[in-house]
Amino acid sequence: MSLRVYAIAYLIFLYAPIALLPIFAFNDARIIAFPLSGFTTDWFAALMTNTSLHTAVKNSLFIAVMTAILSTLLGICAARAGAMYRFPVKAGIMGFIMLPLVLPEIIVAVSLLVVVVQIFDMGLSHWTIIAAHVLICTPFCIAILNGAFQNLDPSMEEAAMDLGESRFSAFRLVTLPLVMPGIISSMLIAFTISLDEFIIAFFLSGVSPTMPVYIWGLMRFPAQLPVVMALGTILVALSILLLTIAELLRRRGMARAGVKDKGGFL
Amino acid sequence: MTALITLKGVNKYYGDYHALRDIDLTINAGEFFSLLGPSGCGKTTLLRTIAGLEDVSGGVVMIGGKDMAGVSANLRPTNMVFQSYAIFPHLSVAENVAFGLRRRSDLSKDDKARMVEDALSMVGLSGYGKRASHALSGGQRQRVALARALILKPKVLLLDEPLSALDKKMREQMQVELIRLQRHVGITFILVTHDQEEALVMSDRIAVMFEGEIGQLADPETLYRRPNSRRVAEFIGKMNFLSADVLALGDMIEVDVAGLGRVSVQAEQAPMALHKGAAVAGVRPETLAILFDGETTDRKLVDGVVDEVVYYGDMTYYDVRVAGIDQPLNIAMKNLIGRPVLEVGVATKVVWDERSLVLLA
Repeated sequence: MSLRVYAIAYLIFLYAPIALLPIFAFNDARIIAFPLSGFTTDWFAALMTNTSLHTAVKNSLFIAVMTAILSTLLGICAARAGAMYRFPVKAGIMGFIMLPLVLPEIIVAVSLLVVVVQIFDMGLSHWTIIAAHVLICTPFCIAILNGAFQNLDPSMEEAAMDLGESRFSAFRLVTLPLVMPGIISSMLIAFTISLDEFIIAFFLSGVSPTMPVYIWGLMRFPAQLPVVMALGTILVALSILLLTIAELLRRRGMARAGVKDKGGFL
Repeated sequence: MTALITLKGVNKYYGDYHALRDIDLTINAGEFFSLLGPSGCGKTTLLRTIAGLEDVSGGVVMIGGKDMAGVSANLRPTNMVFQSYAIFPHLSVAENVAFGLRRRSDLSKDDKARMVEDALSMVGLSGYGKRASHALSGGQRQRVALARALILKPKVLLLDEPLSALDKKMREQMQVELIRLQRHVGITFILVTHDQEEALVMSDRIAVMFEGEIGQLADPETLYRRPNSRRVAEFIGKMNFLSADVLALGDMIEVDVAGLGRVSVQAEQAPMALHKGAAVAGVRPETLAILFDGETTDRKLVDGVVDEVVYYGDMTYYDVRVAGIDQPLNIAMKNLIGRPVLEVGVATKVVWDERSLVLLA
């Protein structure tokens, strides 16, 4: 009984703040406080007309899409090598690749800023953010893709080669379709991480901020708070949708490879 | 008999590990050939070097008179049935079988469909083409793998422990079917197995491998009756080993066998070079017998005491202690009508014959 109370309290603690987002996003008052005054969609309408927000969202989408593609490509190379080949100090190399997972983002941000600006004397742009986001997303991609590649029987590709296909077409015809759910799920995760990443984007963005940085800017104006709530509501809905799709694809991939689900990344 | 595959001085290293040591081997066209050995002996590595899935570190692999150096797996006239079968789970049964025909632009769609159906009916899976491959049983997956490999009419079919994942009944059934299939298609089969019984049942010739080397290459009967070393004799079937003393060599070999006494045996009963002095005499359990009450024999007899009885239904295995022999003799007896199953401690007589002895160094 006490365990049940604890579990319920825990879930409230986790999700109540997020549940407040949609409530105040539709609340007809500029001040975030109970009691609620009435229903409105004005804040969503305000989102539609804010052009600097639109630019920020476009920036973020571009960065997130590029990050998803690049980090998943890197992840495929690493996961395939890890699952199918034996090479010297493999464990050490794989460990080093996964290290950014536990590296504080602020460290990554500051050190990259120093490298880009001081050492290479380059300007900050979307690409500096993309480079940093690829760095932090790749370990997540590898973690997901490792599952997909390790469930794969290495003799599948060999069988395709034995039946007359070249190494590349064997990969394309056999391996790729079998790990495709993993690839999509990896891209979705990388996309989500990049989209709402703040610290690195804040340090490394040039003149045109990303969406999280723009939202942070809005927070200085209390009157804009309900608009932020509306934006937050949309983001939460999208995140849940994307992560659900990612997980469903991962499970489908497991089923397709004929493996029992051993519990995955999510 | 024409040589189809010739291996000359084939070596394979994995780093410092010497997986194949100077393998010289000729495999004939139309032969059912087995590579037999304990796990880690290099038999699968050898099969994969023939398939082109492993590079050799040294030596020559020739197939059909052509040097295979630099020829990758997809261009070799070999096809393989993998231990895991490697059935592509995202393709249907028919798509799996047709996979090797993808590059054959000379064939029409109808031709390919007919070839797939023929291949499936050959392995007893007519009408299974539309099924999803991940819903098949172990035996069916193996048949699909066979059909997929045979549709290309390779010169050599390579089978990597194809029966090890099946249960005993299924395995025995598939052994017979594989023999029948091999005679039907006339293709050279090379089977890798660790199961000596499987190799004896199926093969024309067997190469027994230990630690990257071929220990003996012979037909099943020679391998069983005249193993050329103690490790081959131990690996294939059961054998009693008795210490022996070689007294004279020649057309007939004079030897004093512990517990059995002085006998003279044919030179061919010593498959490996012998010297005078200490040796080992091997004798198979089924070439010894227990003399039951009421039975007579004109063969030699030795007294013993039953030490252990293992009842198998059709057979009973006895361990019989004989004076002068360290280990009890293992004797296999058919449970014929009227034969009792003896109890431990019973005094008995063991029937033996010097013609069944094998002398090993």
